[in-house]
Amino acid sequence: MLFNTLDFIFFLPLVVLFYYLIPQKYRWILLLLASYYFYMSWKVEYVLLIAFSTLVDYFTGLRMEKSKSKNRRRRWLILSLASNLGLLLFFKYFNFAATNFNDLLTFLEVKPKVPIMEFLLPVGISFYTFQTLSYSIDVYFGRQKAEKHLGYFALYVSFFPQLVAGPIERFSRLTPQFKIKHHFNYKNLKYGLRLILFGLFVKMVIADNLAPLVDHIYIAPEKYTSLDIFKGMVYYSFQIYGDFYGYSIIAIGSAQLLGIGLMDNFKTPYLAKNIAEFWQRWHISLSTWFRDYLYFPLGGNRVKKQRWILNILIVFVVSGLWHGANWTFLIWGALFGILYLVEHFTNKIFKLNFKKNRLINTLLVLKTFLLVTFIWVFFRSENLDSALQLFQALFKNGTHSDLTLQTPYFVLFFFLLFVGIDFLLRNQRFDFWLDNLPLIPRWGIYALFVFAIIVFAGVENFPFIYFQF
Amino acid sequence: MIKKILLNTLAFVLMLVLFNFIYERFFYQNDIKKHSEIYKSIQSVPNQTDVLYLGESSNITFRNSDTDKRSISEMMSDYLSDVTINDITQPASHAGIYKILLQELDSSKQIKTVVITLNLRSFNAQWINSDLELPLQKALVLLRDNPPLINRIMLSFKNYDNRTKAERQHDIQKQWKKDEFVGLKEFPFKNVVEWDNWMANNENYTKTKRDLACHYIKGYGFQIDFDNNPRIKDFDEIVELAKERNWNLVFNLLAENTQKADELVGEDLTFMMNQNTQNLIKYYENKGVTVVNNLNRVEDEQFIDQNWTTEHYAEKGRKTIARNVAEALKKWYLNDSK
Repeated sequence: MLFNTLDFIFFLPLVVLFYYLIPQKYRWILLLLASYYFYMSWKVEYVLLIAFSTLVDYFTGLRMEKSKSKNRRRRWLILSLASNLGLLLFFKYFNFAATNFNDLLTFLEVKPKVPIMEFLLPVGISFYTFQTLSYSIDVYFGRQKAEKHLGYFALYVSFFPQLVAGPIERFSRLTPQFKIKHHFNYKNLKYGLRLILFGLFVKMVIADNLAPLVDHIYIAPEKYTSLDIFKGMVYYSFQIYGDFYGYSIIAIGSAQLLGIGLMDNFKTPYLAKNIAEFWQRWHISLSTWFRDYLYFPLGGNRVKKQRWILNILIVFVVSGLWHGANWTFLIWGALFGILYLVEHFTNKIFKLNFKKNRLINTLLVLKTFLLVTFIWVFFRSENLDSALQLFQALFKNGTHSDLTLQTPYFVLFFFLLFVGIDFLLRNQRFDFWLDNLPLIPRWGIYALFVFAIIVFAGVENFPFIYFQF
Repeated sequence: MIKKILLNTLAFVLMLVLFNFIYERFFYQNDIKKHSEIYKSIQSVPNQTDVLYLGESSNITFRNSDTDKRSISEMMSDYLSDVTINDITQPASHAGIYKILLQELDSSKQIKTVVITLNLRSFNAQWINSDLELPLQKALVLLRDNPPLINRIMLSFKNYDNRTKAERQHDIQKQWKKDEFVGLKEFPFKNVVEWDNWMANNENYTKTKRDLACHYIKGYGFQIDFDNNPRIKDFDEIVELAKERNWNLVFNLLAENTQKADELVGEDLTFMMNQNTQNLIKYYENKGVTVVNNLNRVEDEQFIDQNWTTEHYAEKGRKTIARNVAEALKKWYLNDSK
């Protein structure tokens, strides 16, 4: 069940309605059933995977808390990590490993081959796995008390607005909200619906209309001029932003209708002045997860310089691989790591501080945007060859084809509108920002977005990009 | 608070009513041209026609060296003079599409006979779950019997089969494993997957030949489940519609390259193809439909695509089919063979 389908448009109000009609003590049951139903709409059998993860982490959490001995607690943690990561590694990376191993065998002229498994990647497995891992690790370190109520824990793992593509929530932030009685109030309804409207606009009008333009460039880059290829690259930067940001806002808005607050996952990332800042603004729930559960345990920056450099590279490469089982993602992550380090040392050596210089800050923003746009090529490309082909075509202007990247006027209009709104929203969320507007302009924006969603939504079927992770 | 919510809801509903007006006035026709080209075909059917021929690419594809490049429906006129024949041709279409097209036809249009192509491959799991369906499904959304804005909402919110490629492939595999062959004495394979795997490892063939043989197995290696196949349901609905509208109904069961199938895979496959054909003929003749069996009527050389399973015929092949269909229509029309 995608957010931008009629199924969800009918599903959500029903859940919200019954949520406020039933007594507080039964609400977790409703939300849990709704969440499982939501997940089963993709593939019924895969709900067993979530159920399995839930039960393993519920029991290991309780056991860890009960165990006095550190060794025993470690064993329970290892069980939790092995189960969760085992599933993730199998479903996500088995075929990648098998394909590469088979290629090696072919190269060595050895016949026996590892079979490639035929299964669909369970939707959201990377997200809910990391969510449950954060709980297990926090309980192990004593930062979090184990949850004794299986229902609330199961709901933490499977809460439908953020189940399949985040934001990745911490147990301590999300679960207490399930236990509080939320009264229906107009503000939650207003803000929630505003966010859903904006999210649908960003996904359906911006991302889904840019997607076919991007596809043209990536299918046959050699047929386009450098300018068109560059345009396609910029469009992809906004396609992926619109797609993921749109999803996140719909998730936040949906939870808001139930009185539950999810964390912001994006903060105008393309206004970042450097790579470090970009990762403080892009997919915030993931970058903070890696910071807390990988970077800090590796020693963070409290280690020798060489070790710190290695830590940074490890975090970025693992983050790249989290996104997908392909060499392109590894390179994508590694490039971010390298650029992060280059900027860090450049700033240190030259003691750069441009806080008050507007022109230079603007150039820094443009610089970062360009770097990120270039790195996105690896994220978007199916393989390394495609990425290199695109770069080759970009730098080798001239084409024997008459093809040009024609951007329909309405796409250009909404694209520029989105860029403008994103800039305006750099310090606040869309739902709060609308409070500052008088009635008529506010309803004018509603009308514009509703009309745009209905009449100008892209009709090609582009699923949310991050669903594949 | 309730008052605020009701006022806002009312404002939203009024907004939608206004948008419907604006959309219908300024955007709807453009959207139809852009997303539902097939609508032009429906509109182009004249108010009176003796025969309406619904087909896909088999109707219009020709070989460049053909002297006569006419479609099958045009060639039928050679055998039925004074009979007006019009066609709606939509590549990759099938019974599900024809059903909607026929439902959309204005009931005031006077049509005596409807001829529909019956493509054997359209019953297989690959076609039923194919992403070629997608543009056709989308095209039909705007034509549903709703206010234009509602149809556009359905289109924007993907109210059609919007499975991804990976999901479709997965569903195809699942269906293939589920559909086990029945009633085939000493047949060594349980289902298409086993058969296909065996052929894929057949070292007696070159890779090209192996790939083509696998393609034939996947295309034709199935037994129609008359209780559950969605195409059967579509055709059944067409039969009911024809009865309502008083049309003579003819199913043109298209020719397949059974010669090539036999050469590549063997008589097990051709047996299955003929078995499906006979079952279809029996099933629909019992419902009062005239079924023209062209399955084995076109020789290998007349199939334009030799490295793929299509129903694209060169001139002689198209003429053969046109003649066979025209023969079947003679009982309703005065004939005048050329």
